[in-house]
Amino acid sequence: MAGPITAIEATGLVKQFGDVRALDGLDMQVERGEVRGLVGPNGAGKTTLLRIMFGLVAPDHGSVRMLGSELTALGSGTLNGVAGFVEDPRLHPYLSARRNLLLLARMDGVPPNRVDEVLRVVRLTDRAGHRVGSLSSGMRQRLGLAAALLRSPAVLLLDEPTVGLDPAGAKQVQHLLRALAASGVTVLLSSHNMTELEGVCDSVTVMRQGRSVWEGSMARLREEAPAPAHRLWTTDDGRALDVARADPRVRAVADPEGWLTVSAEPADLERYVLSLGHADIAVRRLEPLMGALESMFLELTGAREERARDDADEGADRIEAAR
Amino acid sequence: MSVSTADAPLSVPRSSRHRAPGAGAVFQVEVAKISAQFLPRLVAAACLIGPFVFALIMRTQTSVPADTLFGRWVHTSGFAIPFVVLGFAGIAGFPLLTSVVAGDIFAGEDRHMTWKTVLTRSCSRKAVFAGKALAALAFSATMVALLALSSTVAGILLVGWKPLINLSGTVMSPGRSLALVLQGFGMALIPTLAFTCMAILFSVASRNSLAGVLGPPVTGLVMVLLSMMGSGLVVRSILLTTPFEAWHGLLVVPRGLTLFLLGLVVSTVYSYLCLSAAWAMVRRREFTGETGGVGGAAAWKRLGRAAVIGLAIAAVVAVAAAFDRTWISSHRVEDSVGATFSNLVRVQQTMLGHPERARSFTVSPFCARESAGGGVSQGAGDDWVCQLNVNGARLGQLGLSYTVVVRPNGCYTAEGPPGLVGGQRIREPGGHSAVNPLYAFDGCLIAP
Repeated sequence: MAGPITAIEATGLVKQFGDVRALDGLDMQVERGEVRGLVGPNGAGKTTLLRIMFGLVAPDHGSVRMLGSELTALGSGTLNGVAGFVEDPRLHPYLSARRNLLLLARMDGVPPNRVDEVLRVVRLTDRAGHRVGSLSSGMRQRLGLAAALLRSPAVLLLDEPTVGLDPAGAKQVQHLLRALAASGVTVLLSSHNMTELEGVCDSVTVMRQGRSVWEGSMARLREEAPAPAHRLWTTDDGRALDVARADPRVRAVADPEGWLTVSAEPADLERYVLSLGHADIAVRRLEPLMGALESMFLELTGAREERARDDADEGADRIEAAR
Repeated sequence: MSVSTADAPLSVPRSSRHRAPGAGAVFQVEVAKISAQFLPRLVAAACLIGPFVFALIMRTQTSVPADTLFGRWVHTSGFAIPFVVLGFAGIAGFPLLTSVVAGDIFAGEDRHMTWKTVLTRSCSRKAVFAGKALAALAFSATMVALLALSSTVAGILLVGWKPLINLSGTVMSPGRSLALVLQGFGMALIPTLAFTCMAILFSVASRNSLAGVLGPPVTGLVMVLLSMMGSGLVVRSILLTTPFEAWHGLLVVPRGLTLFLLGLVVSTVYSYLCLSAAWAMVRRREFTGETGGVGGAAAWKRLGRAAVIGLAIAAVVAVAAAFDRTWISSHRVEDSVGATFSNLVRVQQTMLGHPERARSFTVSPFCARESAGGGVSQGAGDDWVCQLNVNGARLGQLGLSYTVVVRPNGCYTAEGPPGLVGGQRIREPGGHSAVNPLYAFDGCLIAP
């Protein structure tokens, strides 16, 4: 594809809302044809970043270039070739799905026949004549995607596109995004769900408190991800903790809810379970708590440390009380 | 459900030279949205059917809305109907029918939380603003035209294509009356468009459809009340409701276009200020997250602040109105009442089949306010008395005393002594009963 290789380039973005610093010097670069996940806890600045990219909000400092063009003043309109939605897509409830898209097509300067094409892509042809107000949230989400696709975008910015969709619908959207990327479209999608991004993204930017705290490919993320976590119920949690402390490859903390959270690679976990047996501690139940990527997400965004600290304090109290 | 690559619409990035659709595209979109909504349809239906209902009611009952200009002629000429409608609509009707769309056209996007959808298309914010404003103005113009058309047709069909007596007491042919009806509605269009711009400002500033729709008619009513507080020309001139009365100048002899020209300037200033302020707000607004229209505490605070500022302005204008010098003098009242009466004498005598009686006569008017005592008579009030001394070869010498109610806008109603001028209705030579033009008549002073 002709043109610059970098599709999205954000440099030193700062945005302050009153006392809240939504973006704090964010840098990000996304290549053409890449599907980039944008993850972070609530308030990390994901939606603000997307709003800036759409020209809905002006940054206090920094710049954004997309497809070689720099976003200029507020109100100059969304850049040519850029489409998508931020938060949940909203359309006029008193108009039908098709009528909404026809009007948006007119505002985009695209021919009306494109409407049926995108309705077919999001599988809403049979609901095209229904008023948007009567559609389910999942259908409205798909309609929002159709509205974004109207412009034949080269950069697609999507804010949690699978929210409200059933598993099959979510899977369908993920397939669609992969297909779009294969045809050269750059996709930037935000999500809370690391596992969901795993199946669709080439790379990830993890945001925390308005900054990018990690950026790289999914493969690298998997490599760097910490050991997966499991929930463990035993006949003697206090002694099970002591056994874990003896093995440097196993990390266990007591959870106030009544179990132990054990982080270890699969082989180390197996060895730990055997050790518990040797110590006459019966394993009542063992189940996965979170995958490696989710674990990584929690670690990067600081949520894990905070949660672990709180849980450890409360869990230790529980164990102490049991003893 | 399977999805293949073939399902995906291939990306066809447009060249950077691709021209984004402008205000024209947004205008078309807004027109489509307006025509799909219930309230604008209801307003259009009301403009279309309302005058027919009014004319039908007038036709079926014997009483007439005599306290309105041309009200006493609604059974006589079909052209009185559109003028009565024009008079009523100028009080708060035009501001209300225009704000139904203009007051909601921006706030509606907040209510439906669709700003982000609209503003993430190819059109610039300027194009979106211009397209929406144009659509609102077009709707207002269409409604005024619809009201003019339906009230005229209703009058002609249900009352008749008949001559009308103007505010100087002369008879206008049906063709001339029709032309003046259209000109009158054309004059009312100008302040209506200014009220549209005001509704746009309310809509943008409040982000609340209710405030956007009700703000302009309430403001209009406050202005009407303020205009009743004094008859000074300066304060009346700055009120946007005053240009709704400019059509009175078409129906007096000689024509008075001062109010129209003044209204043109005032309406332009209001329109410019409202649109500039609204655009500045839209241009600078950061769309950080919608609130669903009602807007929470911040929106109510904004509305509260606007209401306080509005009340403060109204108070200042009210005080200024009390000190504004009146332009309604006894000389002006005498000139207008005397001339109108003279013309109506000719009309009455012609109706009675004696046009020759009114060929040569003079009227000497003397008007004064009872409350003035021996002082200077001036200003609006219901205590004006006009002594009209008639002297004619065939009419003889008559002294008629008319009580005159002069309103702050300079229009008046004069009621004569039935014993001398005849009853409310007179019988024409053919046996038909007709309205006696001298029993009571309306007129308007011409503003300087």
